[in-house]
Amino acid sequence: MSRVIVVTSGKGGVGKTTTTANLGMALAKRGRKVIVIDADFGLRNLDLLLGLENRVVYTAVDVLAGQCRLEQALVKDKRYPTLMLLPAAQNRTKDAVKPDQMKQLVNALTKAFNYVLVDCPAGIEMGFQNAIVAAKEALIVTTPEIAAVRDADRVIGLLEANNIKQVRLIINRLRPAMVQANDMMSVADVQEILAIPLIGVVPDDERVIVSTNKGEPLVLSEIPSLAGTAFDNIARRLEGETVEFMDLSVPNDGLLTRLRKMFSTKLF
Amino acid sequence: MTSDTSVPASASTISDVAPEIAPIVLDLEGNASTEATPEAPAEGLQERDLQVRLKSEGGKLLLMLPPEMETEAENPASSLTWSEVLQQLKQRLNAGERLWLADTSVHLIARDRLLDGRQLQAIADALTDAQLRLTRVYTSRRQTAVAAATTGYSVEQQSSIAQLNPSGESAQAMEEPLYLQTTLRSGGDVRHDGTVIILGDLNPGSSVVATGDILIWGRLRGTAHAGAKGNAQCLIMALQMEPNQIRIADFVARAPENPPAQHYPEVAYVAPQGTIRIARALEFSRAQAVGDRK
Ligand SMILES: Nc1ncnc2c1ncn2[C@@H]1O[C@H](COP(=O)(O)OP(=O)(O)OP(=O)(O)O)[C@@H](O)[C@H]1O
Ligand SMILES: [Mg+2]
Repeated sequence: MSRVIVVTSGKGGVGKTTTTANLGMALAKRGRKVIVIDADFGLRNLDLLLGLENRVVYTAVDVLAGQCRLEQALVKDKRYPTLMLLPAAQNRTKDAVKPDQMKQLVNALTKAFNYVLVDCPAGIEMGFQNAIVAAKEALIVTTPEIAAVRDADRVIGLLEANNIKQVRLIINRLRPAMVQANDMMSVADVQEILAIPLIGVVPDDERVIVSTNKGEPLVLSEIPSLAGTAFDNIARRLEGETVEFMDLSVPNDGLLTRLRKMFSTKLF
Repeated sequence: MTSDTSVPASASTISDVAPEIAPIVLDLEGNASTEATPEAPAEGLQERDLQVRLKSEGGKLLLMLPPEMETEAENPASSLTWSEVLQQLKQRLNAGERLWLADTSVHLIARDRLLDGRQLQAIADALTDAQLRLTRVYTSRRQTAVAAATTGYSVEQQSSIAQLNPSGESAQAMEEPLYLQTTLRSGGDVRHDGTVIILGDLNPGSSVVATGDILIWGRLRGTAHAGAKGNAQCLIMALQMEPNQIRIADFVARAPENPPAQHYPEVAYVAPQGTIRIARALEFSRAQAVGDRK
């Protein structure tokens, strides 16, 4: 039985695509069959973040227009073959696809995969409707900023109205030092407003940007990073494991000690 | 085919330049072997691929809109929506600036597309911005004819779609080359039943599909598909060849992961052994002069 999970936010640029790419990869690393669907028609990015851009031949729109079969459009990951991508069309707009078509596509994929992750576009228009139509679960990504949280709140309401009950929160780009200086909303502040279960907190980490530019999601990196571990932990929690939340508070000692502490006390 | 031998010979010199164009294999189940036949779109350009076209004819310009598929309402994936059509028109007008004189009159061939007054006005405005004048509207739809007449254009209502579809019977002969002076940005998409010449760059995320050759006087960093109706003799040429992916007829190749440090004008072609090769333009034309590939 497969789980259809939409990764959404309302506000743009908060890390939906980054999250989808890393979770997809993390789940595939654990041997799961995962399909990630780029539902951001016209502004596709997921293929780039996964480093698969030059393998895209057909897109979801080609499938819907009857120009190819669904399995022809799927792009297999070059590192973990149990991870596949269904790319979005770059030359069309969100209106090129209708929700019932999207539903058909997703439903056709559920048989072959354990996880169907849908990368939602920003906004709450047609693209959003398309992305959520087949989902049973949602991951809400927000940054600890008033505007992002406000939009996340709106989206949670829309998801509830669309009968998606299992909704969990990812707080991305947290900067502990700023939180400590009272310059940024804390995890508790965000949770207080949104009041949905938290599934992960990902620190702001420049290695996310480096990995994005290389087309290699951070969870693939040999060198451990806080953000990479945070994504791995979210994958484990999705799988039903109980994983303690990382200690992101700013210690006096350097990053290395912090990492070591993290690995010894939280992971193993 | 006078001498086949010169081609592999030239191909091996070439392979020092760009050896690693890997064929793409799409395969859901098995372990993809790099030897398997790549599967690319070879069915060519179809009705639904038609784009906005501008064509000079007898001192005026014909503006041809892509037909509206009956199914558009249920399946928007199969044809362009109105906003996409308008955007494409604007891009084409920008890219063709030097191809027509100011104040040229334009005949709109709307075929079976339903256009209301506001949409007609939007087309007229776009033409005015390019210093062109909409004078006449051809349509097979009564509502469009009424709207055009109300807005003040002379109208010709034609019932037969065949009459309104000049490209309809051009299945064999290709159109004349499409010349565009533009940078094609991500999402930009040019399809043409013939050869495409672009004076400008193809950015990553853009694509050109042509049933003939593709000439990029600039950097090719998007996707290019030549010979889209199956002609493997077709070529792709660029001053700087750094494509995401290239296709010729039904062959697909993706760019090497590590691009060469230096770029020369290059030509992509299908080698006799059935793979896409890339050669420096100079060496390619020399080999062609000796071997006469055609
Ligand atoms: N934890 C992080 N630390 C640092 N940078 C991050 C982090 N997460 C995301 N980013 C950066 O933020 C930017 C936006 O991320 P991403 O594209 O994933 O957002 P998105 O929500 O998918 O955007 P859109 O709404 O446009 O689809 C990217 O440059 C990404 O590298
Ligand atoms: Mg995104």
